[in-house]
Amino acid sequence: MTDFGIEFVPRDLYWKTTFYAIQAEKTGFNTLWITDHFNNRNVYVSLAIVSAYTDKIKFGPGVTNPYLIHPIVTGQAISTLNEIAPGRVVCGIGAGDRTTLQLVNMKPTRPLSTIRESVEIIRGISSGRKVKMEGRAFTVLGGKLNFKVESKIPIFIGAQGPKMLALAAEIGDGVLINASHPEDVARAMEFIKNGIIKAGKTKEDLTIATYTSLSVANKAEKAKKAAIPVVAYIVAGCPESILSKHGISMETATAIRHAIVQGRWKEAFSNITEEMIGAFSICGTPETVVEKISRLVSIGTTQIVVGSPIGPDIRKSINMIAAEVFPHFKTKEEFVGD
Amino acid sequence: MTFKDIVSKIPSSTWEVTSERLIDIVLNSKNAKKMPSGLAKTILYYWQRDQLASEIGLQRLLEASMHIDPDKTAETLKELGLQELTVLLESQ
Repeated sequence: MTDFGIEFVPRDLYWKTTFYAIQAEKTGFNTLWITDHFNNRNVYVSLAIVSAYTDKIKFGPGVTNPYLIHPIVTGQAISTLNEIAPGRVVCGIGAGDRTTLQLVNMKPTRPLSTIRESVEIIRGISSGRKVKMEGRAFTVLGGKLNFKVESKIPIFIGAQGPKMLALAAEIGDGVLINASHPEDVARAMEFIKNGIIKAGKTKEDLTIATYTSLSVANKAEKAKKAAIPVVAYIVAGCPESILSKHGISMETATAIRHAIVQGRWKEAFSNITEEMIGAFSICGTPETVVEKISRLVSIGTTQIVVGSPIGPDIRKSINMIAAEVFPHFKTKEEFVGD
Repeated sequence: MTFKDIVSKIPSSTWEVTSERLIDIVLNSKNAKKMPSGLAKTILYYWQRDQLASEIGLQRLLEASMHIDPDKTAETLKELGLQELTVLLESQ
């Protein structure tokens, strides 16, 4: 059976995000990911509130980045959450969203060594070990928590490019493939295989999650309209190698990124085409969504992350997914349709 | 008249649908930020316990929707055939 995660962006009021989180748990989602962008509400504050109002759903940052938040602080934060909700915490980390990092003049330099070292620091500190490291990106002279973390916190690595995908499979407990299109996911699987082999793991040792942008509604047009702003951000931050596979020029992506950074939303969104929506989101009626998810599952995805926008009306879309999508991928005991 | 008195006049057969409609108002209103934080936490408490369609859950939802969007709340109650409640709510 396929696991389902769901992503919330804490751009919304805290109680709305928490309301949807409770709903996600009730309807049978397995994992809740909350994004980490400095211009939204803080991810750990949001997760702490969610943890107080939920009982079984797993949750964590999805994803944080080591450029704005030092991994030692990430390790501390997830370890604290694990005390509130033992065994339910996961940690997603990635090289960060270029568009948001650009706003504070941060450049995601040396992403591979930065992520490798970050994972080592987070895993070390959240396991109660004293972390000592003199790396290329980080130096830690002896970091240790003054409290005990009772259970292991799985670390998922968000990845899109070949090297990061292989690294994620090699050192992560899970990979969050940043893609929605089956061809992108199929390509990602090849690189993931390399990482699995390098680490001497088996495929079963790793959760392979496809972190999609998903928009579902009864009418396809409504779903598309909701997807446009999210697709704009994805295109703006997408590597050239992936853009070119979908016939999108770097110039177009750069123009969209500049428009977003400067707050010219109308211009950014008007550049989003049907092809971009098809390439970077799962979008449409429940039937379309089932068909697209089926393709991702057949390629080897073990967790589908329903990423934003989810739909034009989040509450209705969550219920729609539970009622019309889950029955195709979960047993009756695993979900409660509306 | 309190929200408890007002909700007591809603037939129990319509609690479920009234709850759904009030949740829609609360979540989708452009005035959602007017929600008092304490009331938000109370609603989350009842939501977690599947109590938003109970008498006490409805009281809190009605209170919230009146805070956020009284006009839409009145319109919704009328649509649900509960127009006599709008007069009572106006006296709040």
